[in-house]
Amino acid sequence: MGSRGRPPRPAAPLLPVPVAVAALLPVLAALAAGAAEARATSEGQQPGAAAMGTGTPPSPSGTAFEETRLHVFTLDYPHVQIPFEITLWILLASLAKIGFHLYHKLPSIVPESCLLILVGLLLGGIIFGAEEKSPPVMNSDVFFLYLLPPIVLDAGYFMPTRLFFENFGTIFWYAVVGTLWNAIGIGISLYGICQISAFGLTDITLLQNLLFGSLISAVDPVAVLAVFENIHVNEQLYILVFGESLLNDAITVVLYNLFKSFCQMRTIKVIDIFAGIANFFIVGIGGVLIGILLGFVAAFTTRFTHKIRVIEPLFVFLYSYLSYITAEMFHLSGIMAITACAMTMNKYVEENVSQKSYTTIKYFMKMLSSVSETLIFIFMGVSTVGKNHEWNWAFVSFTLLFCLIWRALGVFVLTQIINVFRTIPLTFKDQFIIAYGGLRGAICFSLVFLLPPAVFPRKKLFITAVIVVIFFTVFIQGITIRPLVEFLDVKRSNKKQPAVSEEIYNRFFDHVKTGIEDVCGHWGHNFWRDKFKKFDNKYLRRLLIRENQPKSSIVSLYKKLEIKHAIEMAESGMISKVPSSVSLSDYHEGKIKPLSPTEMENMREILTKNLYQIRHRTMSYNRHSLAADAGEKQAKEILIRRRHSLRESLRKTNSLSRERPVLAFCGVFL
Amino acid sequence: EGPQDSAPVTSLHSLAVTSEQIEHLHRRFKQLSQDQLTIRKENFDSIPDLEFNPIRGKIVHAFFDKRNLRQESDGLADEINFEDFLTIMSYFRPIEMNMDEEQLDRFRKEKLKFLFHMYDSDHDGKITLQEYRNVVEELLSGNPHLEKESARSIADGAMMEAASICVGQMGPDQVYEGITFEDFLKMWQGIDIETKMHVRFLNVDTIAHCY
Repeated sequence: MGSRGRPPRPAAPLLPVPVAVAALLPVLAALAAGAAEARATSEGQQPGAAAMGTGTPPSPSGTAFEETRLHVFTLDYPHVQIPFEITLWILLASLAKIGFHLYHKLPSIVPESCLLILVGLLLGGIIFGAEEKSPPVMNSDVFFLYLLPPIVLDAGYFMPTRLFFENFGTIFWYAVVGTLWNAIGIGISLYGICQISAFGLTDITLLQNLLFGSLISAVDPVAVLAVFENIHVNEQLYILVFGESLLNDAITVVLYNLFKSFCQMRTIKVIDIFAGIANFFIVGIGGVLIGILLGFVAAFTTRFTHKIRVIEPLFVFLYSYLSYITAEMFHLSGIMAITACAMTMNKYVEENVSQKSYTTIKYFMKMLSSVSETLIFIFMGVSTVGKNHEWNWAFVSFTLLFCLIWRALGVFVLTQIINVFRTIPLTFKDQFIIAYGGLRGAICFSLVFLLPPAVFPRKKLFITAVIVVIFFTVFIQGITIRPLVEFLDVKRSNKKQPAVSEEIYNRFFDHVKTGIEDVCGHWGHNFWRDKFKKFDNKYLRRLLIRENQPKSSIVSLYKKLEIKHAIEMAESGMISKVPSSVSLSDYHEGKIKPLSPTEMENMREILTKNLYQIRHRTMSYNRHSLAADAGEKQAKEILIRRRHSLRESLRKTNSLSRERPVLAFCGVFL
Repeated sequence: EGPQDSAPVTSLHSLAVTSEQIEHLHRRFKQLSQDQLTIRKENFDSIPDLEFNPIRGKIVHAFFDKRNLRQESDGLADEINFEDFLTIMSYFRPIEMNMDEEQLDRFRKEKLKFLFHMYDSDHDGKITLQEYRNVVEELLSGNPHLEKESARSIADGAMMEAASICVGQMGPDQVYEGITFEDFLKMWQGIDIETKMHVRFLNVDTIAHCY
């Protein structure tokens, strides 16, 4: 979205719109209650029995002692209530988003998540004020089953896999050991605080504190994505923080369930602790296996969809969601399952589906995840307002303090250990950003609502503490991270244009490194990557891809760039200057054999086959935009002509020479 | 701390390879050379995994390239001893935390020069179009479905990109001879080669064996 000539309108005029929409809700509710009441009285039922939320239609009793006239106009709100409210919520969220982006400076100062929470708070306040009761709290089921999967799917699908696997050891280390460290540290230190009788917290047991520690130490992928997306740190840092937030789900699930069961059990034996450890492995590995399995099934399915292209995108979404809920059914890590599924599926599906399906998949995924994220933050804001709180200065402030301290300590200590094994050691700046980027969000929010109040009499206290921590990390850390990144001069991602020569160099370099590793007999990263590639080419691709034409990434990139340049040429009107082959042969006196028709046909065939499968690879993950699509047909024409003239001219001499006007201006053009 | 082998290692301290690594590499050298004092090109045939590497030829060639062995003369050596082997390996040593700007720069230039020599096969200090085409063809040679034409046009495209980066806008009269080392440096500017071009000698026992 480039800047146009007009100055941007401030968001202020648009903000009343969502507020007005929101204000309609209680009005509608009152109307509905009134209408239901009216109908109830007219049919002889008790007034007020048909409450707003229940939506039970008044039963037409045969003993109505008063006949009603035919209604010309009826309002039947309970009939459509649920879909109506859902639609209004989503509409509100999207309108709020439009409002933010109208004033284009705003998202760069304040991350969107903060603004959305504020809108949510506002809404919650309105609902609370209008009805004098707590607004609908975000249902944990709704969050975990409907709102979270799209976001994780989107992130997993567009994850830069190469970078992820290069840093896998570090990510895993931070996720597992780091979360354990945080959970136990926070739990124990809070327990220590609770022992101090002056704070009035002595009834909170050690196990309850450990459980609280485990749910609050989870770094949240939604919050991390929302904040890191705008600050453009280098991919390495981004993948570390984000990968950690994804992988720690396994540990969080295990710890949460473990401590919850411990709280409800009367005695704890050693065998239970071992069961807990075993549970961790099952949860993590099981989730990943389910994801990979369903990913392969999805890839295999898309192999046969070439006759019914229209439902291709459906398979991607269905299989990923299936992997998530299957994992949840077994109480395995759903997040890891859906991430593994998306990463597995990505490569093969990309080659099997049509271009249009692929675009649909991308857009729909981004749309779903955007809506989910917005809804989550708004709901967090709404749920904050209400009577669910118990404020205790000591507990809340110490929770916040311990979260920060243990995170910082954890990152520092763990980095010292992991740096020994890394090829590129992490500097202090990196560590600071990693520690600072440990944002909490909706996952711990939902987990705390899931606590059974029978076992946790002080549940409201926990809720308050979690909310304070989330608000602090999202607002304070979210807003200040950008100036901090600039102040510390952290290496940013360089958004250069991808160049063919760079791809060639990178590929060349990979092979050199692998070769040297082979010579000195060492199994490095490249060794495993090469092994996987060989296995992939031999078995997987043959099985899962319909027309298996293994392409090198160099070729794909080259073709992609050719099309891009061709489009640019066409747009700038320069295409007319390209001399056709005929004039070129006229220009040069020597005997040139023009390309025979069969040669031209061959070339065209190669081009069409390969052009049809060109994909844009998103180089850096961006929430709000996708790379633009090229107009294929025109591009093909231009491309053929250009390549032809290029080949002709390069055939003459072996170096770029002066007599080629097309080359010269191509040189200019590139 | 000196190395623990018997070969003369006069300038090893300048290579900054630790003694553990030297011992590991020496064992590997003995394996490759079949207990001789020198290695020839044929000895590299005994590494099974290297067969599948598309640029195998260039890699082996690099070991014998006199420019990489820091000898003043030019051309190819017939055989190399352990000291030469170590010299080549030192191009892949890791970056050290306490290097200053100047050392880092030299470090980077060394590594890039190694790569440059792999491209520039006729040793004339320039990468010409033909040499570049050669590289791309070799790179894509592992892929039987690609025609030579594609490889050539890709090389041409890459060469033109190089020309535009290095020389900028070319007038209709200009000829671009080839990529010199300075141009090569320019092209690799965005990539931090000093951290990527590094092989870790973590496992001290040789895992891959030769026939």
